Amino acid sequence: MRKMENRLFIGCLLLLLSLTVFLLLFVMYFIAREALPTFRELSLFSFLFGERWMPVDLGGEKAFGIFNFIAATAAVSFLALIFAALLSIGAALCLSCFLREELRDFLCSVIDILAGIPSVIYGFIGIELVTPLFIRAGVHTGSCVLAASLVLSVMLLPFMIASLSESFRKLKERYYPGAEAMGISLSYTVRSLILPQAAGSILIALILALGRAMGETMAVMMLVGNANLFPRILGKAETIASLIALEMGSAEAGSTHYHALFAAGFVLLLFLFLINFTIGLIRSRLPDIEEERYL
Amino acid sequence: MSRKKRERGHIRGIRSSFTAEDGKRGLSPLRREYFFGLLLRLFSALSLGASVFSVLFLILYILGRGSSVISPGFLTRAPAGLVLGEEGGIAPAITGSLLFSGTAVLLAGIPAIAAALYLVFFCRSRWMRASIRLVIQCISGIPSIVLGLFAYSFLVRSLGLGRCVLSGGAALSIMILPFIEMRAEKAFLELPQELLDASTAMGCSPAWTVKKMVLPYCLGELISALLLGGCFAMGATAPILFTGAVAFSAHPKSLLEPAMALPLHLYLLIAQGAGSLRTAYGTAFVMIAVLLLCRLAAAAYARYRERRWRG
Repeated sequence: MRKMENRLFIGCLLLLLSLTVFLLLFVMYFIAREALPTFRELSLFSFLFGERWMPVDLGGEKAFGIFNFIAATAAVSFLALIFAALLSIGAALCLSCFLREELRDFLCSVIDILAGIPSVIYGFIGIELVTPLFIRAGVHTGSCVLAASLVLSVMLLPFMIASLSESFRKLKERYYPGAEAMGISLSYTVRSLILPQAAGSILIALILALGRAMGETMAVMMLVGNANLFPRILGKAETIASLIALEMGSAEAGSTHYHALFAAGFVLLLFLFLINFTIGLIRSRLPDIEEERYL
Repeated sequence: MSRKKRERGHIRGIRSSFTAEDGKRGLSPLRREYFFGLLLRLFSALSLGASVFSVLFLILYILGRGSSVISPGFLTRAPAGLVLGEEGGIAPAITGSLLFSGTAVLLAGIPAIAAALYLVFFCRSRWMRASIRLVIQCISGIPSIVLGLFAYSFLVRSLGLGRCVLSGGAALSIMILPFIEMRAEKAFLELPQELLDASTAMGCSPAWTVKKMVLPYCLGELISALLLGGCFAMGATAPILFTGAVAFSAHPKSLLEPAMALPLHLYLLIAQGAGSLRTAYGTAFVMIAVLLLCRLAAAAYARYRERRWRG
C-alpha cells in the first residue's frame, strides 16, 4: 500500500516534469508552424538578408527583409553587454572578495531589487531622464541605439552581478586560505588566481546576459527610435522584439505579414537556443561541484 | 589589527629592502603590486558604488515623483478624461494585474516545484538531470515577446480562448516557471543530508519524507519564490500585449475576459505624451511599491520560517 502511494507520488512528479519539458517543444512547434508559411512567398535568403520591410502595400512592392532588425538586436545587446560587463565584474569582485559578510548580503539584496523592476519602468525612466541628455547633445528626439543600450545595461547588472559574485566567492573560499597562509595579499590572489580561474564563469555570465538583452522588449522599444535603419550608435534602429511588439497588433491574422512576424520571432528563438547550448557546452567543460541530495 | 592594515604593513616592510636596487628602474615589482592592488580595489569599489547608486536612484526617483499623485481616488477609480487616463485612477488595472499574476503563479507553481523536487531528490541519472536543466534553462531563455506570440497562436487562436486573462496568465506562467523552479531547487539543496538520512533510517518512504519534512522545511523559501515570481509576472508587458491585456475595461468578472494591466497601462500613458505624465508616475509608483512590499513580505516570511525550523 505504502509502496503504491510512493510510486504514485513519484509518477505524479515525473508527469509534471515531462509537462515542463514538453512545454519547450510545444512553444517551438507553434512558433515554427506559424512561421513556415512565410517562405511560401519569399525565399529564406531575402527574408534574412533583405533590408526592406514593407508589410503593407502602399503603392510599392511588399517586402519582408529583417536584416536591419537582426543587426540592431545584435548592436544594442552587445553595447549593453560591454557596459554591464565593465561594471558588474568590478562590483562582483568588491561584493565577494573585499567586503564583510553582513554588508555583502545587504548590498546583494539591494542590487537584487533591480532585477525585479519591470522593464516598462526602465523605459519610462529612460524616456524621462536619458533621452533629454541625448537631445541636449544634439541627437534628434533623443532616442538612439546608445540610449537604449545604456538603459539595457542597467537591466543586465543584477543578473551578472549575482552570478559572478557567487562564482568569485566560491573561488575565494577555495584558494584564499592557502594563499593567505603563504602571505600572499588578497588583491594579488584575486588578480593572479581568482580572476583567471573565473574566466569560464565570466564567459557564461556574459552569454546569459546576452540572451536576456536580445529578448528584452519594452525598454528597448521605448528608447531605440523604431526605424528600419542599419544601426548606428547615435542613430535610430529597431530590434526584432520591438518589431513584433509594434506590428503584431495590426497584422491581419493569416497574412504574410503575420507569418513573417512569427518567422522573426523564430529567428530570435533560434539565437537564444544557440546561446543556451553554448553555455551548456562551456559548463560541461568546467570542473563542476554538483550538489546532490539522496532519499 | 584589521586585515587591510596588516596587508599594507606587510607589503611596505618588504618593499624597503628592495627599493635600493630597483628604485632607479621605475616602480619596483612590489610597489607595482601595491599600486595594482589599490587600483583593483578602487575600480571594484567604484563599480559597486555605481550599481548601488543606480538602484537607489531609480527607486527613490519613482517614489518621489509618484507619491504626490497617489490618493484614495487614484487607487479606487477607473481611468477617465478626454484622453483616457489623464484623470481618474487605475483600479481596474490593479485588479487585472493581480488576476494575471495570480493565474500565472497557480499555473506555474505546481509544475515548477514538482520539477525541482524530482530533480533534487529522485533523479538518479546524471545525464538526465543535466539535460532537464538545459531544457529549463532554454525555457528561461525564451524572450517574453516570443511567449506572447506562442500564447497568441496556441491559446488565443488554436484553442479559441480569445484574448483573456487565462491566455495572458498562461503566457506569463511559462515565463516564471524556470524562475520558480531554480529558486525551489536552491531551497531544496539547502536541506541537510543528515535530516534526510534520519528520515530514511526511520523507515519513512520518500513520498512521506517529502510531505512531512522537505516541504515544511522549505516552505518559507517556496512561498517567497512564488511571491517573487508573481511580482515578476506582474511587471511583464510583452507576454500579455496581444493575449489578454487591453487599453480599457471594467473590472474583469471571470478569467475568460480581457483585463487591464498595470504595465500596459503605464506604457500607453507614456505613449500618450506629456498630458498623462502625472498619472504615469502614479502608476509607476504603485508598481514599485507593490514590488518592494512583496520583497519585504517574502524575506520576512522566509526568515520567520527559518527561525521556526532551524532555531
